[in-house]
Amino acid sequence: MGADPLSRLPHGIAFRFVDRILEVIPGQRVVALKNVTGDDPHLQGHFPGDPLMPGVLLVEAMAQTAGLLLPEGSFAVLAQIKEARFRRPVVPGDQVRIEAEHRTGLGSLHRFTLQACVDGTPVAEAEIVLAITTPGDRGS
Amino acid sequence: MSDIVQRVRGLLATRLKLAGAADELGDETPLFGPGGLELDSIDALELVLGLEKEFGVVIEDRATAVQVLASIRTIAEFVESQGKG
Repeated sequence: MGADPLSRLPHGIAFRFVDRILEVIPGQRVVALKNVTGDDPHLQGHFPGDPLMPGVLLVEAMAQTAGLLLPEGSFAVLAQIKEARFRRPVVPGDQVRIEAEHRTGLGSLHRFTLQACVDGTPVAEAEIVLAITTPGDRGS
Repeated sequence: MSDIVQRVRGLLATRLKLAGAADELGDETPLFGPGGLELDSIDALELVLGLEKEFGVVIEDRATAVQVLASIRTIAEFVESQGKG
């Protein structure tokens, strides 16, 4: 493998919530890792002295994982978040294993089922829709 | 056919959370666009998944979806044409 496989994500490093890809079946299923460390800047404020990975950022990490299944060069944004559940707190030191499965696609929309686990225990799950769009296009 | 229509109606009610509104929907009422339910493309994706689960029919592309998902009647006809239901 040549280039960094995560470089296919359009996000800048400052907003990347996936650290490593463990397995991938292109277009179908991917498993990725996010290591949660006390150095993460958002944990400084969420919450001072009691760091906790924000649920919305877990969803973002899951959405980015799903994005790895889109065609190379795709630029996608969240179009829907469904059935999101946060089952356990995620804290520094946790290694979050995120599994994304492509359910179906229609035109530019793609639906995924996602699950995040720490040490084999589910910490979050969601179903999301990503919409492939054009960078800079903010129209509806 | 009427059984399929009822199941499609049930699918709209549960998948799109339309509840009672689905019962009042005419078989020919446009599901998308003005003059009907004004569903959007995310609703269409939800319906595609729902139809696959309920009837085992697959809608693979947007052009087919536009035709099939026009109304309850067109959905029911598609399901029947696929030998499902």
